[in-house]
Amino acid sequence: MRPTRDNLTLMIRSPIVCSSVLMATLAAPLTSQQPAAPQERDFLSRIRRLTVDGRRAGEGYWSPDGQRIVFQSEREPGNPFYQIYVLDLLTGDTKRISPGLGKTTCAFFRPGTDEIAFASTHADPKSKQFQEEELAFRASGKERRYSWDYDPEMDIYAYSERAGALKRLTTARGYDAEGSYSPDGRWIAFSSMRDAYNRPLDDTGKKMLEENPSYFAEIYIMRADGSGQRRLTNVAGYDGGPFFTPDGTRIVWRRFDEQGLIADIWTMKLDGTEQKQITDFGSMSWAPYMHPSGQYIIFSSNKFGFENFELFLVDAQGTKEPVRVTNSDGFDGLPVPSPDGKTLAWTSSRSGGAAGQLFLAQWNHEKALEAIRNAPARTKK
Amino acid sequence: MNSRLIRVASVTAIAWASIAVGHALQGPRATSNTRTHVETLASPRLDGRLAGSDGERLASDYIVSELRRIGARPLPGHGDYLIPFEFTAGTRDGGTSITVSGLRPAARTFAARSDVQALSFSDNADVTSSLVFAGYGIVVPESQDFGYDSYAGLDVKDKIVLVLRYFPEDADTKTKQMLARYADLRYKALAARQRGAKAMLVVTGPRSPNAGETIPMSFDTALAGSGIVAASVSGTVANAMFAVLLGRTLEATQRELDSGNPHVAGFAFPDDVTMTVHAAVVREKQTGHNIVAYLPATGSTDGVVKPWVALGAHYDHLGRGTGGNSLAQKGEAGQAHVGADDNASGSAAVLAAAAVLAGQPRRRNVLLSWWSGEELGLLGSSAFVATPPVAIDQIAAYFNFDMVGRMQDNKLTIQAVGTSASWARFIEQANVVAGFDLLLQQDPYQPTDVASFNLAGVPCLNFFTGTHVDYHRPTDTADKINYEDLDRIVTFAVSIVRRVEDANEAPQFVKVDQQVQPGGGRAAVRLFTGTIPDYSTEAKGLLLSGVIGGGPAEQAGLQKGDVIVEIAGQSITNIYDYTYALEVLKVGVPAKVVYMRNGQRRETMLTPAARR
Repeated sequence: MRPTRDNLTLMIRSPIVCSSVLMATLAAPLTSQQPAAPQERDFLSRIRRLTVDGRRAGEGYWSPDGQRIVFQSEREPGNPFYQIYVLDLLTGDTKRISPGLGKTTCAFFRPGTDEIAFASTHADPKSKQFQEEELAFRASGKERRYSWDYDPEMDIYAYSERAGALKRLTTARGYDAEGSYSPDGRWIAFSSMRDAYNRPLDDTGKKMLEENPSYFAEIYIMRADGSGQRRLTNVAGYDGGPFFTPDGTRIVWRRFDEQGLIADIWTMKLDGTEQKQITDFGSMSWAPYMHPSGQYIIFSSNKFGFENFELFLVDAQGTKEPVRVTNSDGFDGLPVPSPDGKTLAWTSSRSGGAAGQLFLAQWNHEKALEAIRNAPARTKK
Repeated sequence: MNSRLIRVASVTAIAWASIAVGHALQGPRATSNTRTHVETLASPRLDGRLAGSDGERLASDYIVSELRRIGARPLPGHGDYLIPFEFTAGTRDGGTSITVSGLRPAARTFAARSDVQALSFSDNADVTSSLVFAGYGIVVPESQDFGYDSYAGLDVKDKIVLVLRYFPEDADTKTKQMLARYADLRYKALAARQRGAKAMLVVTGPRSPNAGETIPMSFDTALAGSGIVAASVSGTVANAMFAVLLGRTLEATQRELDSGNPHVAGFAFPDDVTMTVHAAVVREKQTGHNIVAYLPATGSTDGVVKPWVALGAHYDHLGRGTGGNSLAQKGEAGQAHVGADDNASGSAAVLAAAAVLAGQPRRRNVLLSWWSGEELGLLGSSAFVATPPVAIDQIAAYFNFDMVGRMQDNKLTIQAVGTSASWARFIEQANVVAGFDLLLQQDPYQPTDVASFNLAGVPCLNFFTGTHVDYHRPTDTADKINYEDLDRIVTFAVSIVRRVEDANEAPQFVKVDQQVQPGGGRAAVRLFTGTIPDYSTEAKGLLLSGVIGGGPAEQAGLQKGDVIVEIAGQSITNIYDYTYALEVLKVGVPAKVVYMRNGQRRETMLTPAARR
């Protein structure tokens, strides 16, 4: 968990994982930077809520043919944690593909195959016990802020839809999750906290692991069969939520500062070189995903309100200031454009209540390009 | 129909294109007649379809002819599609009078309607007794631990009590909020009756809005009186009574009470002053007609739990708007309230759904219903569940459509979702294909027929596209209906109906606790602000779907889309807070209103007018 400091805790009441997890932020100063003229309705039309069932849902990622979405939802009877579901946009039918036991997160379709990767703790013999403890806690009527616990038993698996079988891809001690495939299906970029376990920690490090384990998270890459695992980042603070760019040449991710309060969007080559900061936004900016056109990145930031995450756009090279996309009460995050770039899936609490659900809207690509053209050049903070 | 195909074809995003494919997979869409249905039912010829009127009959003729065309049948054991029910269509004063003896120089009789008028819920009787003044006639129940009882120390057994209308004018906000809850006239009459009074007379005090005037007879559908004689009297009558009390005036007496001080006592008038109240309320009985038909299951229903599923909509409306629920503006009064959205749209939706379901295999019997008397208080659907022609516990689910013709921005409200845990899954599955921006409300205690089925323990849903400035006005016309989206709602609802129909098991009913609504309800709200709340959107505050032209809200500069967040220093987070806050405003006294417009916080002053 992130340190809880007076006045500095942030309530995130939505599923926030792959692109991931943040529990605290600073009181981000509201700068004089005003949102550009375009309104939410210029970018998003026919907005609609996709998921209804269950306590919360989020992290929807498209199948390569754009006809299905894989997502996580707390809807499994007897299990209070996320499980992974595939939703068929033609029929409305939904199928669970994860084991039903333990916690899961961060699913992704493997292009050109019948595989879907996700992270799960079901191999942990304590899974059932944790479920029961959480159910008892909820039944007690007590409330706590939504948080992601970076379960060290979390490992990445690939599920074969044809075989209905799971294959384990990571085994390292420490949270392995936030995996996504390269466009050719050969690689997986992911986030891991194994660095906290594979070397002796001094007292400061031990304390950090207890209070703020995501400090140790770094970006890794591996082959789709789990072989050749390699570390790409080496900077203190949470590096997470990696996705490949549509041309497969770079990875876009978000990097937190050491305190875990400020995050910005970065890109790098697949070997970890040419690390490039795309935003310098002075707030918690995360969950970046590049539009299939390769021209811009959509991400979420709390720039304009302490607890108010909104979607933003920034050009792929990071030469401009970000442009605000959403303007609604509640949480908006985890944006993922459809493979044809014309529909946006994201997670929002705009329909009321504390928990997020998946939403879809038609995406106005031309308007996005125009807004980026009109955006002022990026200023150094 | 054509416009819909063009729309789908022109949309190219994969998800949306795939929705079109989805429709193709479900077979060709039946030709929709919703426009014809709405235009026919909302024709001025039907004169607003008031329950029990010729307009109701013409509307039912049309719906029945459509049912024959579709092939739906009258219920088993019924020769007819129409099922009648009796109700009180209106009340009027039948010659109420008061005679006071013991006045100097002589007894006086008051019989003009401007001096005495029965309250709509009064018993019809003659009562003679002496008179007791009981302040505002308010009794706060002991459970509230508040300590306010207008009858403390008074013996009113077999007496006639005189009370002031409303609640103390000058009390502090908290006191007012508490007392306002128990200031409804029916509640005051109940308090008087429980203490043995024979009659309750109400006068509107000189320090209150509508000072000295008798109370117009409110609309009341009760079939009989409430067990006590009750009438309002004018300031003239009250002053004549107070004249026998040397040195006391009604005005001074009210002023004393208006602080809200619970220790200001009532008093008995001298015994030699007696009064005879002749109360006469004429209740006009009428007969309304529900239309009920069914599509039989196409196979055996063996093994099917609860072999019925029901769809319904009310088809009545306000007639010419003379019954009290009209929001007609100046220049519109007395015109036919044709009710295109409310609820020709829902009636059309059930007809269109029936036409689709008639052409498909059915594992359950489909009950089709059109209710009358909804606008008068859910009379038709209440009568149905009270004496159901199909056993209520054999109905797996009920789907209601009330105002589904004004969809904006793809937003669809579904109410009563809390009545079954199954609904979330059914709605999600159906909406993946339908693609509405859904707003789900758990609460089944809605001002529409879904409430009747919820009370009967049937899992139910209500479809609703929101209120608008034409709500309950003659301007709610067929040309303003969004037919394309109305047809989408029908398709969506049918897919949910089919998911219920196809399962052997029936959805489990969940009882939702009723939210306690503060305040005495609409009857206690005596202010007119001219706001039209948007009930379909959950905002932090009160979102306005419009303002009444020329009303106080419009004069204050408020408009559609504004969200009121504070009134007179009280924060507003929902419609209940708003109703609550209204109770303590004063007619003619400007109040500060804080509202959000386009994310900006703004202020204005609103001066409430009196609701009559």
